[in-house]
Order: sequence, then C-alpha cells, then structure tokens
Amino acid sequence: MATASRFLLRKLPRFLKLSPTLLRSNGVRVSSNLIQDSIEPLDSFWRIGSRIRHDSLTTRSFSSQGPASVDYSSVLQEEEFHKLANFTINHLLEKIEDYGDNVQIDGFDIDYGNEVLTLKLGSLGTYVLNKQTPNRQIWMSSPVSGPSRFDWDRDANAWIYRRTEAKLHKLLEEELENLCGEPIQLS
Amino acid sequence: PNVGTGLVGAPACGDLMSLQIKVDDSGQIIDTRFKTFGCGSAIASSSVASEWIKGKTLDEVMTIKNAEIAKHLRLPPVKLHCSMLAEDAIKSAVRDYKEKQAKTNAAAAEETVKA
Repeated sequence: MATASRFLLRKLPRFLKLSPTLLRSNGVRVSSNLIQDSIEPLDSFWRIGSRIRHDSLTTRSFSSQGPASVDYSSVLQEEEFHKLANFTINHLLEKIEDYGDNVQIDGFDIDYGNEVLTLKLGSLGTYVLNKQTPNRQIWMSSPVSGPSRFDWDRDANAWIYRRTEAKLHKLLEEELENLCGEPIQLS
Repeated sequence: PNVGTGLVGAPACGDLMSLQIKVDDSGQIIDTRFKTFGCGSAIASSSVASEWIKGKTLDEVMTIKNAEIAKHLRLPPVKLHCSMLAEDAIKSAVRDYKEKQAKTNAAAAEETVKA
C-alpha cells in the first residue's frame, strides 16, 4: 500500500495538470484526500465483486470469480485454461466440419475466427461458442437450449454447466442429432 | 424491508446488473429500478425485465424466461447471455426480498413473544 500511494503521489502532479476540469470542480486540494478519492471507486467495485462471489456460492448461479476472494486452488491458471479451451474448440471445429459433409442442411457453415466458433445451420439456428477467460469458462449460445456457461471439471475431465450439470460435448451431440437427424460423435 | 435487490454478473467480464423491486403487502411488485454496466444488450435486457415485472406478482415474475426476453429484443445468438443475466437478476431480487421478509417476520414474532 505504501508503495502504491507513493506511486500515486508521484503521478499526481502530472495527472492534475492533465485535467484542469477536475481541478476546478474539486478546488485545489492536493492532499491525501484526493488520493483517497481516486482509489475509492475501484475499491467499491472490488467489494461488489466479493458480494457476487458469495451470491454465486450459494446459488451456483453466475460466473465464479469476482476479483476479490478468489480461491486460487480451484481456479485454472490462465495458460492451462487457454490450452484446454483451445483444444476443445479446435476439436469441435474439426468434428463438426466433418459432420457438415455428411448431413444435408441448407446454409450449413462453421467458422472459427476471433476466438469465436460460429456454427450456422441455416433456418435451424446458429450456435456460438467462445472462451470467457476471466471466468475460465466456455460460453455457448444454442438455438435449442439458449445460453450456457461451462466450467472445466477436473474430476469428470469435461466442461460442465453447473446449473444443469450438462456436459458440453454430450449436450451438443444430442442437440445436433435432433436438429440434423444424424448422430454425431464429438468426444 | 419491502424492497428486494438483485445484483448479478461479474465485474471481471464487464457485465454487472442491479435490479430492485418494491413489493406491496399483497406480493405485487409496484415499482422497479435497474442499473446496469455492460453492453447494449445487457442494458436493454434489464430495461425490458424491469418493465415486464412491474405490476406482476412475485410468483408470476419467477416464470419469466431469458428466451422470452431474447425473443422480444431479437437478440443475436452471441447476446443470449445478456438475457440470461436479466432473468437471474429478477430471481435474485425476489430471493433477496423473501429473505428480508423472513427476517422481518422472525423479528416480529420475537416481539410478540416478548410482549
């Protein structure tokens, strides 16, 4: 903390010079108060984060990690997350591309760009899969089951949507078979 | 005690939705407020949610589904998650209200016992 405020103090003169409006509205008060002010909004946001964290613990509802009180033992390291998620998404891309050659769906198109996997099934709807790195999740938007958010489950070795306990691969297999009329093996 | 607040989302991914409901004695929602940080779809979802739940009972609003919100707003597939956030906000607000009511009732019961 001490280092942080020293850093702010050093930055402060330049910061004030850059924002004359701030000076005028606050009066010229270069004191520790001002530093406090500039820290506070951030701080309150952090607190909101921790509140949500508690909420999600009881309901298993939303994303998992607010910036505060992160349980690092259970959180995937970012690198590992990217490895797992990229592998999963690339694997799905390959399998579904092959699948597209076997089924006759008007407007079948699969595309992976900007880290987003988009699967178009013409009039049947569109799937979107993407990584949500801050949460270490894969998000899927399905024309059948709507939105879902998958966490990596080490024990099951699978991506699981905590609310419904659905597994990503299994859910996609079932939905695609129902939509296109052909079974598909994704795992 | 007659206001319930639902706060959902994760600041880490940039979406934060706060929805408040004011409930009368009969369990009807008489007023709503929302405050949302996030993309346009998230803001629109919370806006439409707050409009829909006004005048409805607590039981009625629990049946609102994200798909209805998404359909109403014609959200594109990538943005379905925003409507989910709105559904969660409603449920979270109702739960918060019920918890507050339970606490108030428990306190009232204690008062009666003391008297």
